[in-house]
Amino acid sequence: MTFLKSIFTATMAAIAVFVLTGPGTAQELDLTKESTYDQILEWANEPLNTSEYKKDGKLKIGVSAGYLSNAWINFTAQMIKYEASLHPEIEEIKITDAGFNPTKQAADIDDLLTSGVDAILFWPVDEKAIMPALKKAHDQGVVTINIGYNFMRDPSVTSNAYVNQWGYTEQVVDQFIDSLDGKGKIIAMLPIAGSSAAVVQLAVLKQKLEDYPDMELLSAEYGDWDRAKAKQLTENLLQRFPQIDGAFSPAGQMSMGIYEAFDEAGRLDELTLSPGDDYNGWVKLVANEGKWGSVTSGLEVGRAAVKQAVDILTGAPTTTAIVVPTRYLEPEEAKTLYEADRPDDWFKTDLPAEYLPQ
Amino acid sequence: MNRAQLVIAFFFRLPPIVWALLLTVAFGALYNPQFRTVDNAMNVLEQSATLAFLALGQAFVIAGGLIDLSVGQLVGLVTVVACMGFEALPGWRLPVILGCLLLGAAVGMINGTLINHLRMPPLILTFGMLSVLQGCIFMLTDRSVGSSIPAIDFLAHGRIAGIPASLILVILATVIAFYCLQRSTFGWHLLAMGNNASASRKAGLNVRGLTLIAYSVSGFFAAIAGLVLAGRLGTGFPNAGSGLELDSIVAVVLGGTPLKGGRVNVVAVLAAVFFLGTVSNLLNLMQVPTFTQILIKGIIVIVAILLERPRWAAAPQ
Amino acid sequence: MGGGAAMSAGTFAKRPLLSRHLLDKAAVWIVLFILLIAAGFVSEAFLKLNYLGNLVRQAAPIGITAVGVTFVMILRGVDLSVGAIVSMSAVICALVMDGKAENLWLAIGVTCATGSLIGLANGLLIAYGRVSSFILTLGMSIVVYGLVQMGTGGTARGIVSPGFREFLNDRIGNVVPTLAICFVIAVVVGIFVQSQTRFGRNVYLVGANPEAARLAGIPAIQTTVIAYCFSGLFAGLGGIALLARTGVSGTNPGAGMEFDVLAAVILGGTTFAGGRGGVGSTFAGVLVLFIALNLANVAGLPFAAQLTIKGIIIIAASAAHAWIGRSGGDRTE
Repeated sequence: MTFLKSIFTATMAAIAVFVLTGPGTAQELDLTKESTYDQILEWANEPLNTSEYKKDGKLKIGVSAGYLSNAWINFTAQMIKYEASLHPEIEEIKITDAGFNPTKQAADIDDLLTSGVDAILFWPVDEKAIMPALKKAHDQGVVTINIGYNFMRDPSVTSNAYVNQWGYTEQVVDQFIDSLDGKGKIIAMLPIAGSSAAVVQLAVLKQKLEDYPDMELLSAEYGDWDRAKAKQLTENLLQRFPQIDGAFSPAGQMSMGIYEAFDEAGRLDELTLSPGDDYNGWVKLVANEGKWGSVTSGLEVGRAAVKQAVDILTGAPTTTAIVVPTRYLEPEEAKTLYEADRPDDWFKTDLPAEYLPQ
Repeated sequence: MNRAQLVIAFFFRLPPIVWALLLTVAFGALYNPQFRTVDNAMNVLEQSATLAFLALGQAFVIAGGLIDLSVGQLVGLVTVVACMGFEALPGWRLPVILGCLLLGAAVGMINGTLINHLRMPPLILTFGMLSVLQGCIFMLTDRSVGSSIPAIDFLAHGRIAGIPASLILVILATVIAFYCLQRSTFGWHLLAMGNNASASRKAGLNVRGLTLIAYSVSGFFAAIAGLVLAGRLGTGFPNAGSGLELDSIVAVVLGGTPLKGGRVNVVAVLAAVFFLGTVSNLLNLMQVPTFTQILIKGIIVIVAILLERPRWAAAPQ
Repeated sequence: MGGGAAMSAGTFAKRPLLSRHLLDKAAVWIVLFILLIAAGFVSEAFLKLNYLGNLVRQAAPIGITAVGVTFVMILRGVDLSVGAIVSMSAVICALVMDGKAENLWLAIGVTCATGSLIGLANGLLIAYGRVSSFILTLGMSIVVYGLVQMGTGGTARGIVSPGFREFLNDRIGNVVPTLAICFVIAVVVGIFVQSQTRFGRNVYLVGANPEAARLAGIPAIQTTVIAYCFSGLFAGLGGIALLARTGVSGTNPGAGMEFDVLAAVILGGTTFAGGRGGVGSTFAGVLVLFIALNLANVAGLPFAAQLTIKGIIIIAASAAHAWIGRSGGDRTE
């Protein structure tokens, strides 16, 4: 027992010693300010010093997905595989899936490092929660590239393949306000409460609404990207409010849940929906309705990320981030884009058949 | 018996999960060059620390014929509270750590007290508590908050002479759990309660007290797991613990503990934790597609429970 | 409902007082009634037929699934694989439909068959392996989830048949939603099976006292296997209902549903004590859960508070049933 006691005392003493040393926190970006995004775009254009990462010979690329059971990420992952096949210097591509669990993602990154990859492309489950794992990768000289709608600025993140969330949402809001003629009572259907997507979407909407005193935001709900939940929440809102002129739902299948709830309540004629993103179900709906439109969701970030990794690893000149632009698609365009023989949960891409999700 | 016979006897008497672990490691070492590096082995041990603490705590509860479904969310709560505390009270790190450990034990005590006084099945009570704790986490925050401190980071990532600090703590915890469960009067009584709660009560055992202690220990261990996880993630992620309660139960069952309690082997439970960690690591290194990995994990759970065949009272003959 | 079965169960188990037995059955209905009145005060929408119809419709996927799980829980078991089966069913059903009207019945048949098949696997492993249903069905849910993800590659395929969703999402006479009627039919079928068939009576007998039932020559293994089959079948139907409500919206639309189902069944009084509760009470339990959550929504309570409320409801309901029945002392389950 004395042995145990001494180990215990030693451990407590060690804890006490480390407790007294100071912390170090990275700066956080204020996602709700437009100026942040000007700053991001400025950073993105800075040249990146690739000489320290330059490798000769074959390249191994690791991909750490926060979760793959989502069509957008799935298609982006296929984009990565396809792009990798076009680069003869890439000998291997390894994909891991953390299933929404940051602890697993940290372990996945460990395992990719063990496998000896030269670069890790990742979608974080949570930006902050994988920083320790990314730092480890960075310390081993491995290139780390963040993919998606959130910009990460940290010494451990080599580069970003980035879709501008603010810009995307602005395109949605502008079109939405336009189709409502700048007046009316609206609801907002946002994704997971607290997620950066939800925070940014609401911030853009609120900022734009300041210029339109005739528009009123009745309620902002969180549908968790879930079509069923969005439908249920909208059904409740329809009971609460006798008049709803518009619904703001910038991305994902929640828009279709809203549409169905209005349809089943027999109140479709009062509804104006905001544009959604470019998945097949929504594009099909836009084509049938002939209104509302959609905004491209920037699936090309997958390919951009691979190109960026190759540029960095071969020492080619590049910038600190690649920004993938999004653009508004008129309903007329939707008619030529949707694929009737494909499911709702699908994106139209230029991927060759063997690279489509199996 | 001579020494060779003793060695052979020793190996034959090893719990099946230890064999499974050894075979997996042997297989990995033979077929995967990246697997057999010391670095990788240390990685796996380090990655397994959170689950190890949780499973050790769960072993106390299950040995007594109870179950604790709330530990996963408790881990999440401690992770969030710890990181918030470290940031809000920079001069009070030790009190924050101790407060977190107390929080864990307190939640366990609430579980135990309610089970004792409401006379309801532990499965339902701790299942309800899971939801309550999850609600508490999201009332505190809906995103990653605060940041961990170097001491906690060291606990999660640090190495002492090449050996992960977390591993040393895990071994320490295992020794303590082994002593408490398999070498002490308390352990005897707890296992007796798991074997037959009503007979133990009649024999004069303080069944309520044992229940209370088992849940407090489980909560306390969950709090340690939460602190380690805070170090691993570097921040308080609200969903950090979701699903861990099930992993911990699977580990305890794989370690040969029947769910109705009455028998426990702490070392086998630890072996089960390392087995799960090794399998996951090996599948990743062998490039097994993710979805196949999920399938394999499910099959491991089913095969484990079938091999163990605890005579579960609920299943009819 | 199940009165005869419970009476004969009483010959094996310690039989509760009749009044207490009735109270146990009525408790959830009383709660439902009080909750509805209270809800009426908060928002008069709750008293409108249209809204109530809507509520039952929202509850249909979870409610239909809960009917099957009730049987398993009367048997002292639990089925955590239903969430995964619901996901699988929605995915498979849409795949077989392939956007063609003529595939509709084939798709429904295939979906029910696969659901039952998973249930059969659960039942056989639990009955013959004599293992914990909790861990086994948990493992099964991971297996099913993995299979669905492997089969789809993470992208939901399949297109529903034309007319399928339109029919089920319609309102009969512009008032009563078709899906709500489907839910009620599922409940009626469940009540019929539970009270009018030999299988139903056996479920209560085995649940009340497995040992005594075995000695009395009741085919316990067969009863267990059929109960889990039922659970799988109803989860399959729940998946079809979910598909009708939301279309092809992802590969894991039933994620986490097993917890809501479990909560609803426990609320109805079918706790792990065995041999108690029933499908009728589960119906009331589902409605209580949905009204409470809707109420929280209307009151503008944040998601976090709703989770806490759900947890407290589960604990309180179970404690109340244990108190009424005074037989909740069986702590090993």
